[in-house]
Amino acid sequence: MAMSATAVTAVRRPHGLLGARRSLDNLKVLLPFALLVAAWWAIHATGDFAPNVLVSPLAVWRAFVHLVTHGVLAEYASTSLTMIGIAASISMLIGVPIGFAVGVNRYAAHALEGFLRFLQGISGIAWLPLAIIWFGFSHTTTLVIVMYTLIVPIIFNTMIGVRAIPENYTLALRSLGAGRLRLVTDVYLPGALPSIVVGLRLGMGYGWRALIAAEMLVRKGGLGDLIFGARTFGQVDRIIVGMIMIGGLYIIVDRLIVQPIENLTVARWGMLRK
Amino acid sequence: MANDQIAPAQGKIVVSGFRHFFDTADGPVQATGVVDLAIRAGEFVTLVGPSGCGKTTLLKAIAGFIKPTEGAIFCDGREVTRPGRDRGVVFQELAILPWRTVRRNIGHGLEIARVPRATRERAVARLIELTGLVGFEDRYPHELSGGMKQRVAVARTWAADPDVILMDEPFAAVDAMTRLTLQEELARLCAATRKTVFFITHSVDEAVFLGDRVLVMTRRPGEIKARIDIPRRAPGGRDWESFTADPEMQGIAEQVLKLVRAERGAALFAEDGVQQPARRCDAGPQNSQRPSFETPASRAPQDEG
Repeated sequence: MAMSATAVTAVRRPHGLLGARRSLDNLKVLLPFALLVAAWWAIHATGDFAPNVLVSPLAVWRAFVHLVTHGVLAEYASTSLTMIGIAASISMLIGVPIGFAVGVNRYAAHALEGFLRFLQGISGIAWLPLAIIWFGFSHTTTLVIVMYTLIVPIIFNTMIGVRAIPENYTLALRSLGAGRLRLVTDVYLPGALPSIVVGLRLGMGYGWRALIAAEMLVRKGGLGDLIFGARTFGQVDRIIVGMIMIGGLYIIVDRLIVQPIENLTVARWGMLRK
Repeated sequence: MANDQIAPAQGKIVVSGFRHFFDTADGPVQATGVVDLAIRAGEFVTLVGPSGCGKTTLLKAIAGFIKPTEGAIFCDGREVTRPGRDRGVVFQELAILPWRTVRRNIGHGLEIARVPRATRERAVARLIELTGLVGFEDRYPHELSGGMKQRVAVARTWAADPDVILMDEPFAAVDAMTRLTLQEELARLCAATRKTVFFITHSVDEAVFLGDRVLVMTRRPGEIKARIDIPRRAPGGRDWESFTADPEMQGIAEQVLKLVRAERGAALFAEDGVQQPARRCDAGPQNSQRPSFETPASRAPQDEG
């Protein structure tokens, strides 16, 4: 058996027959979208809908082009993306260390598990009325709400991740002379990473949805503001453009940010639980 | 049995009057009987005994993972209270880190000790050769078989160069064929690198094959009932062919097996309500021509053996 000393990478470049199959896979992914658009077009074409109730796919496309060329879509989208970016960063910076501290301490973990679940039950959106009372209709309100929804799953999953680390890892390392800091950097952090990634994914999902809802209420920019504002003028085409952007951006952010983290770490270490 | 007071200076590892109880919901459970033993520098000592007799508990206490309920353990004269790099441990499984390559796992102890990179890489390269991992340096553990993973675990502990190496049934989770290979490789490794090793196992053959001295433990709560010296092996380590062909070795293995199986026999008697035979199996005068068997009954008070 030929032994190669080169590192095994998780991502391989498709070529030849493998490349063709890869493109076929991509087409398969697009199929549900195509079907949805086809059904939508059929429903609109056969029914008699007023333009402030339902529009055709073509009208939505035109609205999309209009919003893009006038820079409107870029502005609203970037507001939303900036907000989720800031919220995610802060939530990770605060949530992961808290999750660690709780996870490492067995008693704390037991005590807080129920409480964290309770907090998770009160979704961020339910905090909106209180947040608006305290912070008014401002970006602060939006940020607080989104951070709340992001941080709870991050803490919870980090905690689970730390607790799931086999005891032998820490025992083995202590027998190699590792001190506390070493254990954190060499065992706890990488060991909890798959769960942290899960927590981040979950948090991003909740956070993005809470963001749109908050924007609808606060009305200070962002895609939520766009679609809710369009409702006032019955601009259904804009609403649908906004919705598509919301869904599309979510996938893009996941693929561009969370997925690479997963590939570089969890997938490479063979720890992906499929 | 008299509680021999063994001065801490008499061995690399000295276990003195060790007895351990675990706290459970139903009250304290006795995990071991009173254990006294000493491991001299450069010795390979194997401990064999039935399941549940307390051998893992003893190893964990020597490693510093648990604090003895009674007695004390000394390493180089200093009392053991916590894990440390003077006592390396090779676990049965789930020991090497999945997020590090083979190379980085093996070098981990040296990395922790802040050994300069050049020295570290040389040591790692040497161990990779000695443990047959050439070509796998940059693989991750999930790409390795069970046997390879254990080789990495052994290499990592060896590379860190601890004073004593504790091995907790390291080959028990590996398939039978690979196990034989790993035992031979370990024998060669030890011949090449003269370390002090404490190796616990279920397997009598493994214990006699690998050990310079075999300790036999009684069933739970375990005490050491026999200590058997094994004649020197060939300079390059032992191999299974010559081991199974050697009548002297086979004779020793037979005797040790009898000692271990007697523990099971004792358990059966107890269940029948018939009077139990003495737990300590006296090797008896008929074995005077065999290599020295030392049982508590026969050894002199001062002699650790």
